[in-house]
Amino acid sequence: MTPADLQLGLPTSRELKSYRIWDSYFTPSHSHPGPNGGDRLIADIERSLPATGKGHFEKLCYFPHVGIGTTNDPAFEKATRAKADLVLRPLKRWPKMLLSMIQLNANDVGASLDALNRWLRDGPMLGVYFPGSGPGALACTHRNCEPLVKRIAELKGVIMQHTWFKTGGKQGPGESTPSELAELAARFPEQQFVCAHAGGEWQRGIRAVRTSSNILVETSGFDATAGFIEMAVRELGPRRIIFGSHLPSRSLGTELSKITAANISAGDKKLILGENYRTLLQPILKTKKP
Amino acid sequence: MNRRELLKGSAATILTAGVVGISAKEAPQFNIIDTNLSLFQWPFRRLPLDGTALLIRKMRALGITQGWAGSLEAILHRDLSSVNGHLAAECAKYPELTPIGSINPTLPNWRGDLSRCFREHKMPGIRLHPGYHGYTLADRTFAQVLEQVTKTGLFIQIAVAMEDPRTQHSRMRVQDMDLALLPRLMRDHPGARVQLLNLRPKRVQIDSLSKIPGVYLDTARVEGTDGVPTLLGKMPRGRVLFGTHAPLLIPEAALIRTHESNRLDEKDLRLLLAGNAQTLLRA
Repeated sequence: MTPADLQLGLPTSRELKSYRIWDSYFTPSHSHPGPNGGDRLIADIERSLPATGKGHFEKLCYFPHVGIGTTNDPAFEKATRAKADLVLRPLKRWPKMLLSMIQLNANDVGASLDALNRWLRDGPMLGVYFPGSGPGALACTHRNCEPLVKRIAELKGVIMQHTWFKTGGKQGPGESTPSELAELAARFPEQQFVCAHAGGEWQRGIRAVRTSSNILVETSGFDATAGFIEMAVRELGPRRIIFGSHLPSRSLGTELSKITAANISAGDKKLILGENYRTLLQPILKTKKP
Repeated sequence: MNRRELLKGSAATILTAGVVGISAKEAPQFNIIDTNLSLFQWPFRRLPLDGTALLIRKMRALGITQGWAGSLEAILHRDLSSVNGHLAAECAKYPELTPIGSINPTLPNWRGDLSRCFREHKMPGIRLHPGYHGYTLADRTFAQVLEQVTKTGLFIQIAVAMEDPRTQHSRMRVQDMDLALLPRLMRDHPGARVQLLNLRPKRVQIDSLSKIPGVYLDTARVEGTDGVPTLLGKMPRGRVLFGTHAPLLIPEAALIRTHESNRLDEKDLRLLLAGNAQTLLRA
């Protein structure tokens, strides 16, 4: 036996392959890609590969910074604006494995609109990530978000919005709650939104988005609390849930077991682990050249 | 259930492993001791495995051969004699379960509860919930517990946390335990054996805890794809024990984390999954 052969706690390899897992929330070096415009990002992706291999993941979507002020590092921001290759480095190295969505800065609407054209309309990106902290964070009910959502909808992009309901209140004014996302989503009924982390405190998060049929919940970013997926399937239905791994800062164990160990049908697991996300990506994938 | 029935159950585990999604050839290969189980109901919501029979069925399906079980009733109940009696009676039904009684040293006659755990229920250790019971390591009462429990030869499990403070009920907020005083207390009580449950260790904490003899950790909330092997690399050999924190957390999560990065060899895995727990029991 080698460590790579071990399946303790996991479904069989055959079962995992049958799920066709697409990870919607892969977070290598999520807040800054590290020195030389991405060395830590590359190292973090490599660090995740044993787990993604064990899980038989087909695709992973990460969220690059594209030089519009989403980090606290002016030198990195400037270098990234000047050299697109820095942003594309992981995609060039793992073209079949990686998908990507840019981190957006709602505090700088002009730069964000330019980035949408450059990276979604003319580039390989499939959507956007609205962060919950850092210099790019802004509560999603802020009026700055409206022109951005409008443009993303025109480009058929996916919107991943970081959300948390924290006991004791927000960690900062830029953080969004699922209730705020529901408010934004009501203004754009034709656009679909992903409520990242299902609000963290998912009993409230699921309730907050339950009647917003254009909101899906993403499953990562909190402990492997038992009962989450069962409640999400019961309240939202299996088609409004998408899997995220949050690797490598979180683990395959925590994130995958939320779905594979849940008391739901194999068909529902298949939807959550990949099919729903592929469906969500279809409109923008159709706009991309093969 | 007797030993023969238990072994029959293990055989059933192997046979049914495919049904529950576990590779049949893997299930029987490891002896697995879960040092961080709880029985009964969490006060704030129902859990899929909060019935003992269901929990045991899951343990068997996962190949977990033993579980050290505390009681979730101990979080808020004040009649801890009854809580510990209920726990001992429930554990007696299942050969896999070892009861770990709870002590609340803010209650009168906690020494009586400790004595019953030791003499009547033959428990090898006791569990503390300082956060929910309202004391800290700085309180004199903690030192008294440490002294008394060490004299009886039991080990202590301290629940550093039960859940992420960010997701707690707004009227029942409990911060993670402050462990700053633990090194001094352990120095003052040589021979004490203390396992910290549900700690999500920060680097500075690991540096500090690794230097204290008698302090053990569990893996239930150790995060990151290589978090468990990294922790093992930083703590002295034998001081990290496998724990799931089921039924609050999904037990598969902790199991997968032990091997997902492919960094632990078979020998280290065997020690983590059972050997270190057996050594603590014998110490």
